[in-house]
Amino acid sequence: MSPSPETAPDRDALAGEYVLGLVEGTDRERLEQRIAREPALAASVESWRGHLAAIDATARPIPPSPGLWARIEAEIAAILPAAERGRAKAVKAGGTLSDWWNSLFVWRGAAFAGALAALVLAIGLNGALDRAKRQPLMVAVLLTDANVAAAVVNTYPDGRVEMVPLQNIAVPAGMALEIWTLWDRAVGPRSVGLIDRARTTPLRLDQLPLGTNQLFEITIEPATGSPTGRPTGPIVAKGTTSQAL
Amino acid sequence: MTQKAAEIEAALLACAAGDKSALRRIYDAESPRMVGVAQRLLKRRALAEEAVQDAFVLIWRHAARFDPQRGAGLTWIYAILRNRSLSILRDEKRTETSDAPLGEEAASEEDDPETVMSKLSDAKALHACLETLPPQRRGLVLLAFVQGLTHGEIAGKLGLPIGSVKSWIRRSLIALKECLG
Repeated sequence: MSPSPETAPDRDALAGEYVLGLVEGTDRERLEQRIAREPALAASVESWRGHLAAIDATARPIPPSPGLWARIEAEIAAILPAAERGRAKAVKAGGTLSDWWNSLFVWRGAAFAGALAALVLAIGLNGALDRAKRQPLMVAVLLTDANVAAAVVNTYPDGRVEMVPLQNIAVPAGMALEIWTLWDRAVGPRSVGLIDRARTTPLRLDQLPLGTNQLFEITIEPATGSPTGRPTGPIVAKGTTSQAL
Repeated sequence: MTQKAAEIEAALLACAAGDKSALRRIYDAESPRMVGVAQRLLKRRALAEEAVQDAFVLIWRHAARFDPQRGAGLTWIYAILRNRSLSILRDEKRTETSDAPLGEEAASEEDDPETVMSKLSDAKALHACLETLPPQRRGLVLLAFVQGLTHGEIAGKLGLPIGSVKSWIRRSLIALKECLG
């Protein structure tokens, strides 16, 4: 643990401010890196979360609308379980990586990293979404058939991809916007996101390839996603990735 | 650990192993309260549901990172939900594409600090420790947590200097932590 000049009350106050959501922007990122490194700070964060959970328990329950589960299901359908994701990567990279993957040393390291990661859940998860403000690696501008820019897709050095709408997109009742990517005509388009209205959303590329000149498109599909696994509805906008300068 | 907490943790471990029905069990048990928590922060129902949708996708993707040795499963789930809700809240405030800016939407009276206090009677330790704070200072802490307000927004809402808001919240947290142990 790195030595820190702050006192225990300082640390608890900082952890409390973090859990309240009062630490923002780059301060938040720096603090999350510290939480990842400093067990005492991580323990204080966890303790605040435990105590303040009672306040969340006072929220009035609101039954979710009927389509919510279907949207979640459609989104996770494209995600392989963690274990299979690891396998898919190792297989793709061929011999050396799969040897590496199978070595005990790496597994030990991974188990330790897993324990640390549990402490800093907010970093990997939501922090990842927040850091979307960083410089993208590639950008695709998705144009409508009238050549109006409707959305951009940004890809980032750490593998994340997000879609940012540039204008409102009319979505008929009972329908949703589905985002697709196509890197190889032989494989066909793959669904990477399903949203009920135009909003910034992380795209789930996971084990899919990602390169320049890769097509992204948005189509109108039923609220639970395309029934065929291929685009069936009208194309709202499309565009291909280019390297950002 | 209560039976409910144990069921959530078992479900998270099953999610990590790829069992989608386990995610559905968490959804059935927690989604109404999750929508309620997100609605307090985001005010708008559609945004609250988006936060819950994103939270479940994140829970599914990262269930393997959950470690029961390090904290409770329910706490983990609500931390994900809060983080996602706060991100959406800050993003929406930045972009303000809609007609009625989010910051101006009135919070429900139910989310008022003193109403929340009155509902906290089941959480005896937290309630008792919050009681030791002067009502206004306790209100600042609750406004930040329940409604997701920033230092600046709390200052604006209550007509207080931002420096005072910052230092009062900080001091309140130190006092609370000392009381809670």
